[in-house]
Amino acid sequence: MKLKVCGMKYNPGEVAALQPDYLGFIFWEKSPRSFDGEIPKLPPGIKKVGVFVNASLDEVVAKIKEYHLQAVQLHGSESPEFCKELKQYNFQEPIQIIKVFSIKDDFNFDELKPYESVCDYYLFDTKGKLPGGNGYTFDWKVLKGYPSIKPYFLSGGIGLEEIESLREFMKRPEAKYCHTIDVNSRFELEPGLKNIQKLKEFKKGLMKDEINMPSSLGERPVRGPYHANEKGYYGEFGGAFIPEMLYPNTEELRQNYVRIMEEPSFKQEFDQLLKDYVGRPTPLYFADRLSEKYGAKIYLKREDLCHTGAHKVNNTIGQILMAKKLGKNRIIAETGAGQHGVATATVCALMGIECVVYMGKIDIARQAPNVARMKMLGAEVRPALSGSRTLKDATNEAIRDWINNPVDTHYIIGSVVGPHPYPDMVARFQSVISEEIKWQLKEKEGRENPDYVVACVGGGSNAAGAYYHYLDNGDVGIIAVEAAGKGIDSGESAATSALGKVGIIHGSKTLLMQTQDGQITEPYSISAGLDYPGVGPMHAHLFRSGRGEFISITDDEAMTAGLEVAKLEGIIPAIETSHAFAIFDHKKFKKDDIVVINLSGRGDKDLDTYIDYFGL
Amino acid sequence: MNRINKKLQEDGKLLSIYFTAGYPNLDDTVKIIGELEKHGVDMIEIGLPFSDPLADGPTIQESSTAALKNGMTTEILFEQLKDIRKTISIPLIIMGYFNPVLQYGVEAFCKKCMEIGIDGLILPDLPFDVYQEEYESIFKKYGLLNTFLITPQTSDERIFQIDGASEGFIYMVSSASTTGAKQGFGAEQQDYFKRIASLHLKNPQIVGFGISNSETFVQATEKAKGAIIGSAFIKHLTQNGVDSIANFIKSIRC
Repeated sequence: MKLKVCGMKYNPGEVAALQPDYLGFIFWEKSPRSFDGEIPKLPPGIKKVGVFVNASLDEVVAKIKEYHLQAVQLHGSESPEFCKELKQYNFQEPIQIIKVFSIKDDFNFDELKPYESVCDYYLFDTKGKLPGGNGYTFDWKVLKGYPSIKPYFLSGGIGLEEIESLREFMKRPEAKYCHTIDVNSRFELEPGLKNIQKLKEFKKGLMKDEINMPSSLGERPVRGPYHANEKGYYGEFGGAFIPEMLYPNTEELRQNYVRIMEEPSFKQEFDQLLKDYVGRPTPLYFADRLSEKYGAKIYLKREDLCHTGAHKVNNTIGQILMAKKLGKNRIIAETGAGQHGVATATVCALMGIECVVYMGKIDIARQAPNVARMKMLGAEVRPALSGSRTLKDATNEAIRDWINNPVDTHYIIGSVVGPHPYPDMVARFQSVISEEIKWQLKEKEGRENPDYVVACVGGGSNAAGAYYHYLDNGDVGIIAVEAAGKGIDSGESAATSALGKVGIIHGSKTLLMQTQDGQITEPYSISAGLDYPGVGPMHAHLFRSGRGEFISITDDEAMTAGLEVAKLEGIIPAIETSHAFAIFDHKKFKKDDIVVINLSGRGDKDLDTYIDYFGL
Repeated sequence: MNRINKKLQEDGKLLSIYFTAGYPNLDDTVKIIGELEKHGVDMIEIGLPFSDPLADGPTIQESSTAALKNGMTTEILFEQLKDIRKTISIPLIIMGYFNPVLQYGVEAFCKKCMEIGIDGLILPDLPFDVYQEEYESIFKKYGLLNTFLITPQTSDERIFQIDGASEGFIYMVSSASTTGAKQGFGAEQQDYFKRIASLHLKNPQIVGFGISNSETFVQATEKAKGAIIGSAFIKHLTQNGVDSIANFIKSIRC
């Protein structure tokens, strides 16, 4: 939940120091809080909102420009046309429009309809003598009839006394789209002079437990059509296609994972470890030379700077804490190239828990350094000898181990694959990536939303994390980059969206590469992290629904792009990530487009492959 | 009445044998079925091989990989079985993973099974609720019994649910394991067998996983109606070939 403090006049600096999400400045002369001073320099991350009552377009535009406002709140009878004109006005930065509606005992929600496409948020205020600032609340039950999925601000006479009832309200379905709590007159020593002590208390209360989770696990995301439903389906994909032997294991997890992830003590420990052990937040870096070369504003989300060298550890930290909460004392995992195996062995060492990692016999031979790392970290590496003896077979072996050890063992899956609840759980742990992108981009560009988020997809965990908070926001383009290997038609490829058909792999209904007879085939990519024959159900749905744009990149294109990033930006990416950097020949961007590329891992592990390929 | 239901009404304990179609050789299917019936086996599970059999231990995995290498496909299996009812009268069940069935088309698969004279299916990774919501009507339309598994970890509540939805037998997995993993039954399994018997389910139970010789067969069927042998039979085929099936059956039913 976000906080807006409105009616800034005498002490905006002090209020800003409390780090609310929005500060409201009223530009309406009749108000005792009417603002005409100078806004002090605010800490990053705070949006300035101008509040107007039936002002002319020219007046509003002038104030936006003068005060560099990021949002306007329209309190009068402004028409949808007015909102549209303002929305389309050519500002340097896009302006967010908050349209206010006043509620007494009931409200005709049909009034919202004409505004649906022309404003960004609604704000619901108490109907009183004045347009705002009346000092008492309306009956929030009225919002039961809220028909929209547009996020809204809850306003009107909210004070310290309302903390308890707010907490109750937040548990109700109608609070699903409540985005921000807006406060004003109940936190004042006199109109326009805010009571800092009281605001502090309120913020603390608002932050406590369920009511607010500005945690890496994400503030209660608006779980729209691109998130898993209760049964773990993303559209037609997902579910839990597992033999009965696995039912108790996954059922235990399914019943508990959301509850545990929302426990304050869990969040706290997770956040602390991400900060102190993993090294989060990872930087969002403006890639100047790359941007110049390709004519777009390219930002890199530096997951390569995480401990162990990739985003994988976000998930293993979360899952080891989950395993502890569930009372498990043994961990199993699968690994292909060894990155997830290392991330799992790392957190097991951290927690002093027994760890067994399954790895295809062929992969053990070709990824010797990672095998050694896992052993140094105290894990046992067991070769998968069945089938094709690579990642999919290592996954089968881990599942078989879990069948044989149902009580004491937790299986840490490394991607957004497997039976429900794994895809959703792993996506939530990785969602810290987009959570950070949002506020980091706000700091740098004054907006949370890039025009595009780009990520490579094997199973899809780094992509799921980078997309997570943007999934339901149609303004943000989602680009998924798959490995075409030696070419989509070469027979040696891992481009699941292009080559896969609907089927079942590792307990999930998704797109997978298979023979006509339903036998799962062996994919190929130069990057070991992308050669999984399936793709997470979230991504299958993004592909099928058209929400995501899928691009296939060959080995050669990826290697060339990896070398270019090294030379232009001084960063050697993992070969998985290099695929994401190769999209510029396939996708053209506008000069002003903000493109965030998730730099999922660093290339140290791939040096041998780079050396061989380029003859370095 | 379905052949499975008829068989379950007979007196005595039932011996059911699982084998992987296409193993040891692609064309052994009909011969193996014939030998099994000839030597007194009550019911047969014909394994449709899958590339990723995640509930199976090494023996069945290897036989599946070999069968696929031999060229076995769903189409070929149906072709091999097309005249099977001219000679075979015991119940025949196809056991496999859901993906090959899904690719063939669930309805087309069931229709083909009916035409051939297959009596039921066991698809361990087709979950109970998905079956009920999406596929039950199709199975029924073609007269196929679907068999569900229970394990020592399955709750009583869920067992009653499964019992209620079953119309043949319940496949009782003997221990928390993959196929062929355990040898012999300990006190834990005995307790489990007793617990299930005390629930007085409407469907008879047939025990699978961990039965490899006459001793474990007797133990498993003390309370249950019958038992299924898979991995031990496949090992026998690997070592002794298709012509010595009689010896294996005799060793169980001594």
